[in-house]
Amino acid sequence: MSKVTDIFKSPVGRKLLTGITGLALTLFVIGHLMGNLTLFLGADAFNQYASFLHELGWLIYLVEAGLIIFFGFHIYMGISIWLRKRTARPVKYEKYASRGGKSKQTFSSQTMIITGLVLLVFTVVHVNTFKFGAGWAGEPEYTTVVDGQEMRDLNKLVFEVFQNEFYVIGYVGVMILLGFHLRHGIWSAFQSLGTINNKLSLMIYTAGSILAILIALGFLVLPIWVYFTGGAQ
Amino acid sequence: MTIHLKVWRQDDAQSKGKLVDYTVDDVNPDMSFLEMFDWLNEKLILNGENPIEFDHDCREGICGSCNMIIDGMAHGPEKATAACQLHMRHYKDGDTIVVEPWRAKAFPAIKDLVVDRSALDRIISAGGYVSVNTGSAVEANTHMIPKDESDLSFDYATCIGCGACVAACPNSSASLFTGAKIAQLAHLPQGDPERGKRAVNMVDQMHKEGFGDCSNFGECEAVCPVEISISAIAEMRREYIKGQF
Amino acid sequence: MSTVSEKILDSKIPDGKLEEKWSNHKNTVKLLSPANKRKHTILVVGSGLAGASAAASLAELGYNVKCFCIQDSPRRAHSIAAQGGINAAKNYPNDGDNVWRLFHDTVKGGDYRAREANVYRLAEVSNNIIDQCVAQGVPFARDYGGLLDNRSFGGAQVSRTFYARGQTGQQLLLGAYQALMRQVDAGKVEMLSRQEMLDLVLVNGKARGIITRNLVTGSLERHAGHSVLLCTGGYGNAYYLSTNAKNSNATAAWRCYKRGALFANPCFTQIHPTCIPVSGDYQSKLTLMSESLRNDGRVWVPIKQGDKRHPSEIPDDERDYFLERKYPSFGNLVPRDVASRNAKAVCDEGRGVGRTGLAVYLDFREAIKRFGEDGIREKYGNLFSMYEKITGENPYEVPMRIFPAVHYTMGGLWVDYNLMSNVPGLHVLGEANFSDHGANRLGASALMQGLADGYFVIPYTLGEYLVNTELEDVDISHEAFAEAESSSFQGIQRLLNINGSKTPIEYHRELGLIMWDHVGMARTKEGLTTAMGKISALREDYWENVKVPGENATYNKYLEYACRIGDFLELGELMARDALNREESCGGHFREEHQTEENEALRNDDDFSYVAAWEYKGKGLPAELHKEELTFENVELTQRSYK
Ligand SMILES: Cc1cc2nc3c(=O)[nH]c(=O)nc-3n(C[C@H](O)[C@H](O)[C@H](O)COP(=O)(O)OP(=O)(O)OC[C@H]3O[C@@H](n4cnc5c(N)ncnc54)[C@H](O)[C@@H]3O)c2cc1C
Ligand code: HEM
Ligand code: HEM
Ligand code: SF4
Ligand code: F3S
Ligand code: FES
Repeated sequence: MSKVTDIFKSPVGRKLLTGITGLALTLFVIGHLMGNLTLFLGADAFNQYASFLHELGWLIYLVEAGLIIFFGFHIYMGISIWLRKRTARPVKYEKYASRGGKSKQTFSSQTMIITGLVLLVFTVVHVNTFKFGAGWAGEPEYTTVVDGQEMRDLNKLVFEVFQNEFYVIGYVGVMILLGFHLRHGIWSAFQSLGTINNKLSLMIYTAGSILAILIALGFLVLPIWVYFTGGAQ
Repeated sequence: MTIHLKVWRQDDAQSKGKLVDYTVDDVNPDMSFLEMFDWLNEKLILNGENPIEFDHDCREGICGSCNMIIDGMAHGPEKATAACQLHMRHYKDGDTIVVEPWRAKAFPAIKDLVVDRSALDRIISAGGYVSVNTGSAVEANTHMIPKDESDLSFDYATCIGCGACVAACPNSSASLFTGAKIAQLAHLPQGDPERGKRAVNMVDQMHKEGFGDCSNFGECEAVCPVEISISAIAEMRREYIKGQF
Repeated sequence: MSTVSEKILDSKIPDGKLEEKWSNHKNTVKLLSPANKRKHTILVVGSGLAGASAAASLAELGYNVKCFCIQDSPRRAHSIAAQGGINAAKNYPNDGDNVWRLFHDTVKGGDYRAREANVYRLAEVSNNIIDQCVAQGVPFARDYGGLLDNRSFGGAQVSRTFYARGQTGQQLLLGAYQALMRQVDAGKVEMLSRQEMLDLVLVNGKARGIITRNLVTGSLERHAGHSVLLCTGGYGNAYYLSTNAKNSNATAAWRCYKRGALFANPCFTQIHPTCIPVSGDYQSKLTLMSESLRNDGRVWVPIKQGDKRHPSEIPDDERDYFLERKYPSFGNLVPRDVASRNAKAVCDEGRGVGRTGLAVYLDFREAIKRFGEDGIREKYGNLFSMYEKITGENPYEVPMRIFPAVHYTMGGLWVDYNLMSNVPGLHVLGEANFSDHGANRLGASALMQGLADGYFVIPYTLGEYLVNTELEDVDISHEAFAEAESSSFQGIQRLLNINGSKTPIEYHRELGLIMWDHVGMARTKEGLTTAMGKISALREDYWENVKVPGENATYNKYLEYACRIGDFLELGELMARDALNREESCGGHFREEHQTEENEALRNDDDFSYVAAWEYKGKGLPAELHKEELTFENVELTQRSYK
């Protein structure tokens, strides 16, 4: 392999990229989840956490730029692998079935492209709702003061958004799909990076599945909790 | 017993194929799946019809010739069993079985259930060997190889080159086949200097042949008649990465 | 009945002491310069152990090689199915083995019907084979110290068999196949898969080309070269049911025979004692259960005739462990031919077991008691599960049923020491030649021979032929090609035009039955004469009444079969003729007229210590017999005894 661009063509290179970006996104999501869980500690804690992030300055821009690039590559690779699969078998089977046993063909693995695309749409909407939502431009009604410091009242926005049952249902749904994406994804990424051997395989598959469920659960209790408790605030 | 078959018939690569219904009476439970086809073919010939073409040779699960998708599964429903070793005692009187050829762009159709799998040979010729000329070998016990390593290498070496992994893979990837050969040689000191080059060349050839990428579906391992583990694919990736440096 | 010619067959055995013949020969052969090698094209027919190893080695030397095989990939040649192992005189276990002993055992095992010089060379290069295969990455079994492991096989008194679980043939073939594919990549070998050789092309009496049928398109193709290497395997499928793969055939060898090559010892066939018995008339082939099972299994049948009780209900004193009874010192480990004949004998007495009465038990009850089920599983697990897959019975609980089956053919085209047939330029390697196994092949020595021929013999001897022979320029427009092509074409058209009422397979099955009944484990003058008559009648019927489906210009498996069966129907008769001629019992050839009082084979060294090489004399004429006398200067001829 001579050129860097060849990595996009090589079957191993493509999976390496998917795997690295997938794992990085997973790390982001875990971090994001931890941050979001500060909501349970109260409005101030959450707002403080958010403003702390913003004060990182160039660092946060770097992370954001990274995120965009990682998302970009991840999506590009995911779609391109899927497109190649379609040309690799021009005539479909009349009858196709999984043998079961050690096969990892599950609802999760078979729907990666769908759950992925839903996540894509979700992320756009989501970032628009929160990051660029009310308070982005420094509107005073979405500003709060904690410990003498003025900052954006993201907590208020979150609580407002999740008063809407459509948002709540939508989020819960997407979080479940995220869980599915990761149930195959986490294990798969380790396999793509060539880190798995016979003995580790089952262990990582199980650990990945558990982590995926935890991530999905962690995210989806938030909107539900807010919906049922937030009105009373 | 009586078995109903729906078999893919296709005259040649150009023509369109379709499933055709057949009924085979007096199937004996001790018959192998292929013997049932022989039986049916005898009748077709006597009726003046063209027999169903399918590849086979050893009929004991070692040559890798036989290739049938049986009820949607490569080599049929039995674990670790090539189509030629599948026996009719696993079916019930009156069952209907759908039989199709391996399907992949890299496996062009030839006739009925027969396809062209030479792409797999080309992957091997791209680097699946140790470069040692006849006569230039050192004494066999020069290299000591730990039994565990040697056994592991053997597990990968048992691939029969049937292509079921490709046929069953939702992506039509040949990663298990390619990985098995790369992993076999990666566990041996022989051919060590060409390890990296081997992995890169074989993987590149696999891509050129038009196989899909591997999404880690693991279906290949489930259908593989010799149960090659998908850790071969992980090894292939490791070797490929090492081969870059 | 058959004419015997006075023509002496020159085996071209080099002078000198046995131990020095091969090295002397190698030292004195003239060499072809690399530039010259490039100008030579070698046609290698077959990609089994013999073909793949020869094609790869010759390409490495610089020859242009074209390699042909029937299967869709060279890796699927029948050699892939060999299970047990490969012999070599490495003496790693330090149990007293050496080249001489391996040579001696092989000559004796072949019942003194092989050439001493050839066998010695085989034993000599056996060690190089192991080195070569290990260097290629063949994963032979190893011990915990990381060194190569050996086992004793086929009743040998030393442990000299290298093995790769129960898949030695597969691993060796893949090694050779990979070496071959490396040369394909280097552009030195052109691999032509799905091509079947139908004829040999002779120009000025020398082998200069072949005609093949492209098995996908049906078109006939001409290939010209400077020498032809026939590596097309054995002809065990003449019996229809055998352990050979379905595509194994005699066609290439038979067509060469018809072009003048001599066919040697066609009646020497090996019947392997431990195969899974026939279960019904739909049966398409037989499966071997490795011989190693006899190390722990005990062979028996009920003492009473027609005893249909379940084996577990038959108490020990009503069982006849007939091998242990008759051969107290070797017991269940007697050589293949002896074990097979005795199994047949007890079944003929009506004491066979199973639905068909054509099987004996191979019982692991005691071994399981001694080593536990896990111990047995570790040793034979894959064989046991293969047995269970095929029969649906669990051999850990019920004894295995086994019966002898045709397995290997020692006979083949006659070759001299240089592996060249009497047709200049036509070399024959591997199971297709007759050379090294005499009247009976020992376990683990066919793999050794195929690889010896391909890796270590032909690279030297081919060069000598090319240096010493005037070879004019010949291309495929030569009229000899046109003649051969049209004769192949007519053969095919004739088959397709008959459009009779019986399928090719029906004929093959009938031929198989005749062969098995009369040219099988026990042969008689009467039976052989009957067989010849029956085969010739069947052949005539075949050419009038066979129904071959489809057309030529497409993939057509039954047309392939039909061509091959046509040849088996001729070869079968020659096998019977040869068996009739050989008025003695030796190795796999047992004539009931010639046995000791204890029913053991009785050799006749005075009259039959020769290779019977048959020459084709034309359609409808009896073949002519040529003899190559065998002389034994280094081993003493003894009667084998396993009592
Ligand atoms: C079940 C089984 C187990 C065995 N186990 C052992 C063992 O443990 N140890 C041992 O030493 N031996 C064993 N043998 C014997 C040994 O495997 C064979 O004798 C040996 O492999 C023959 O090798 P070969 O290269 O001569 O021929 P093959 O491997 O038979 O190859 C023949 C080649 O010729 C090609 N061919 C044939 N006809 C044509 C044609 N007309 N045109 C073009 N190509 C053609 C075929 O496609 C194939 O490539 C076993 C045999 C069997 C059946
Ligand atoms: C935003 C849109 C997304 C799309 C379109 C998408 C699509 C895909 C697809 C199609 C695959 C399978 C690749 C293959 O077939 O080999 C995949 C794998 C993966 N995805 Fe996503 N995904 C998205 C977002 C995410 C997110 C947000 C995460 C993490 C939280 C993630 C984590 C992973 C992981 C870990 C893998 C496994 C990588 C591998 O198999 O090597 N993805 N993604
Ligand atoms: C209940 C679940 C979630 C809640 C409450 C939530 C909340 C938020 C909030 C409040 C922000 C704005 C942060 C800021 O501007 O500083 C944000 C940003 C973001 N969220 Fe979420 N989020 C949730 C789930 C997710 C999921 C599942 C993903 C990934 C697929 C995700 C991806 C993002 C991204 C990419 C940003 C922009 C980050 C940036 O640019 O700095 N979020 N989220
Ligand atoms: S890896 Fe398994 S399924 Fe794939 S070709 Fe090899 S034996 Fe067949
Ligand atoms: S089924 Fe296909 S996707 Fe990969 S793990 Fe096996 S090659
Ligand atoms: S026919 Fe050889 S593996 Fe099935």
